[in-house]
Amino acid sequence: MGVLCDFAAHIRQWEIDQKPGRGLRRAMPLPDSMFCAQQIHIPPELPDILKQFTKAAIRTQPADVLQWSAGYFSALARGDPLPVKDRIEMPVATQKTDTGLTQGLLKVLHKQCGHKQYVDLADLEQKWKNLCLPVEKFRALLQLDPCGKNMEWMKFLALGCSMLGGSLNSAMKNLCEILTTDPEGGPARIPFETFSYVYRYLSGLDSEIPAADTESYLASLKENISTRKSGLIALSDFFVLKRKF
Amino acid sequence: MAPTPTPQSHAPQCGRRTPPRPAGPSTEAAMPASLDGELPTRRRNGMRGAGGWSQEPEVPLRAGFPANSPRRNCPEATPPGGSRGCWATGTGVAGGLCAARREHSLAPTSRPGNLASRPPPSLPPLLASQSRCPWHYAHLPRSHDALAPTCFKAKLHRRRGSATPGVAPTWTDRTSPAMGTYTYTYTSRPRPPPCQRRRYRDSLLQPAEEPIRYGNIMYDRRVIRGNTYALQMAPLSGQPDPLEIQRQHQAKRRALARKRAQEQLRPHTPEPVEGRQHVDVQTELYLEEIADRTIEVDMECQTDAFLDRPPTPLFIPAKTGKDVATQILEGELFDFDLEVKPMLEVLVGKTIEQSLLEVMEEEELANLQASQYAYEELRNVELAEVQRLEEQERRHQEEKERRKQQQWEVVHKHNETAQKIAAQVFAQRYLADLLPSVFDSLRDGGYFYDPVQRDIEIGFLPWLMNEVDKTMEYSMVGRAVLDMLIREVVDKRLMMYEHKEDERLSFRPGDRLSGPGAVRDPLVGPEIQGQSTSQSQGPPPDRESLPPLDGRYLEKLSSQERRLLEEEEDEQREMRKSSGKEEPSQ
Repeated sequence: MGVLCDFAAHIRQWEIDQKPGRGLRRAMPLPDSMFCAQQIHIPPELPDILKQFTKAAIRTQPADVLQWSAGYFSALARGDPLPVKDRIEMPVATQKTDTGLTQGLLKVLHKQCGHKQYVDLADLEQKWKNLCLPVEKFRALLQLDPCGKNMEWMKFLALGCSMLGGSLNSAMKNLCEILTTDPEGGPARIPFETFSYVYRYLSGLDSEIPAADTESYLASLKENISTRKSGLIALSDFFVLKRKF
Repeated sequence: MAPTPTPQSHAPQCGRRTPPRPAGPSTEAAMPASLDGELPTRRRNGMRGAGGWSQEPEVPLRAGFPANSPRRNCPEATPPGGSRGCWATGTGVAGGLCAARREHSLAPTSRPGNLASRPPPSLPPLLASQSRCPWHYAHLPRSHDALAPTCFKAKLHRRRGSATPGVAPTWTDRTSPAMGTYTYTYTSRPRPPPCQRRRYRDSLLQPAEEPIRYGNIMYDRRVIRGNTYALQMAPLSGQPDPLEIQRQHQAKRRALARKRAQEQLRPHTPEPVEGRQHVDVQTELYLEEIADRTIEVDMECQTDAFLDRPPTPLFIPAKTGKDVATQILEGELFDFDLEVKPMLEVLVGKTIEQSLLEVMEEEELANLQASQYAYEELRNVELAEVQRLEEQERRHQEEKERRKQQQWEVVHKHNETAQKIAAQVFAQRYLADLLPSVFDSLRDGGYFYDPVQRDIEIGFLPWLMNEVDKTMEYSMVGRAVLDMLIREVVDKRLMMYEHKEDERLSFRPGDRLSGPGAVRDPLVGPEIQGQSTSQSQGPPPDRESLPPLDGRYLEKLSSQERRLLEEEEDEQREMRKSSGKEEPSQ
């Protein structure tokens, strides 16, 4: 509660410091001396902001609330997409690779950065930190495919997906689920070009898989979906197929 | 005192109004002195002369009355200028009664010449307290009986000598033709019914002629109550028993006398000494107007019909209590942190609670959705699988059906073929000796014939036969002819012989027998012949022509002929046989 008092006082001070026309526009200057509780004026937008923030926090479950809150509010202030998970993700008790990276987090990152093709690594690092993910892992990720200041987002995502699951297929599955616009649980469909691009990239990184195999696999997949007009590949197409193999 | 309009008065008014006479004031001035005691001032406005009458109220009444004043059916009379007095009530009436008196009384004192000059047509406008009822019939002085107005309040329209104070009906020129034309107007103010109580004693000098009691009109005997159309009353003025009237008069007079007597018995102030005059004087600090008339002030009030009720004025209670002051220093009253705590509690607590709930709800919904979609996906896949399997199954079925069909057809065909073969074989066997038998039967039937032979048989032989017949006929004919010849010859010879025989006288009767016998046989023979001819088809039709000739010719035929015939018959039979053979063999 003490924290909250401070927080409220901080808000109040912030309110006072606010230039008119920015943020809480209708903030009237506090009287110098207040005499009763009724004089305390709560800005009308505050409850809503608090609620949204609380909900985001509950959904995202950041390890470091303050760090994440800073990221959240700066993103909010800038008007960027917020580092909020859309769904609560129950933390997996055991993870193969203990990066703390989950599909949800990747989704958040994708939400934040997906609109541009190239992302600035510094910015990306900051976002990574805001999600309370270990920076070492970030570095490790980058090690897989070193590049300059900018990086193609798709590649990063692909690397992230590969970090999630062990195999290429699981990575592709994760990728599908992240990139798809279909509702959750539905057929996670993505355009085939994207799929093939990422698949090639990942298989290219992995030196064990020969390129010919990749191409043939992709060709076969393409055949399967050629009947469909949309040109989208769904999870069932390759995931199920693999099982049969 | 200029006459001022009094808006409150409602004196009825008939006829023209003429401006009040300017002489009013003068009379007024003169009047008060004498009329003090008697004429109550009943003024609505306060314009009065000292203790006296002011004519204004009545005068302005006149002036101020618009057409809305009710018109009474009053004979028009012009009251003297500056009429005043009781308009509404019958003050004038009493005045009428007293008019004479008053006039008399007034005349020497106040009235200017005008009044005195003319017969006092107008009732003294100064009305005593007694007379209030405007509807009181009063004996108007002199000739005004006929005109006795019910209302004595009439305005003086005519400019008259202002001597007439008070209300008085204005009389028509009947009364004073010398004056000119004037109209009678009657105006009266609504007056309260006069009270019975009198302030002051009646002066002995002016006793009432009869006790006039005013009061409620409801209890006035003179007012006719009930229906007036069925009332056959004696008119008020006369008719009833003169005896009764007399008796009433007597009674009244007696009562009056009694009263007077009583009054006289009462102690009075002694008469003034010679040379002195008693005057009523007030000794108090403030003069009080003495009048029998109660001071009445009419007030009217009327709300504006269209005004809204004004809002209730704010009730500000009077200030009560003690004023106490105090002073609060900075920081004494308010501690932000303390005050803000509950607010924060609510704010934060509620926020968290609410957001938790919402998140949970959303999560639940999202889960539901996700599971729904997943399930749908699964179902779709399964459906696809199912469809595929169904399709496969269908295809298999079709295939099976087709194969079966094929097989069946094959078998069928096989059967058919076998049957056909069997049939063929059987047929062959069956029909193996068909042909010979057929041919045999045909041959038997004569279908295979030698055309030459046939031709000969058909064409040649009949012709031959015909020819033969003909020939035979010819020969027969020849024979017949020959026979005939022979017969004739024989006959002739016979005849000749018979002649001869006759001549020999019949030697041989046996010839005749042979003759008829010969006749008979040929008869039979041709019959047989006829039968045979009818039987045979081939025999030439010439034969048939023979029977009609039988009668003659056949008688002549001999046995030779018979034999010839028989031979012919045999030939014919043979021919028939042969032909008959041929015929079935054909």
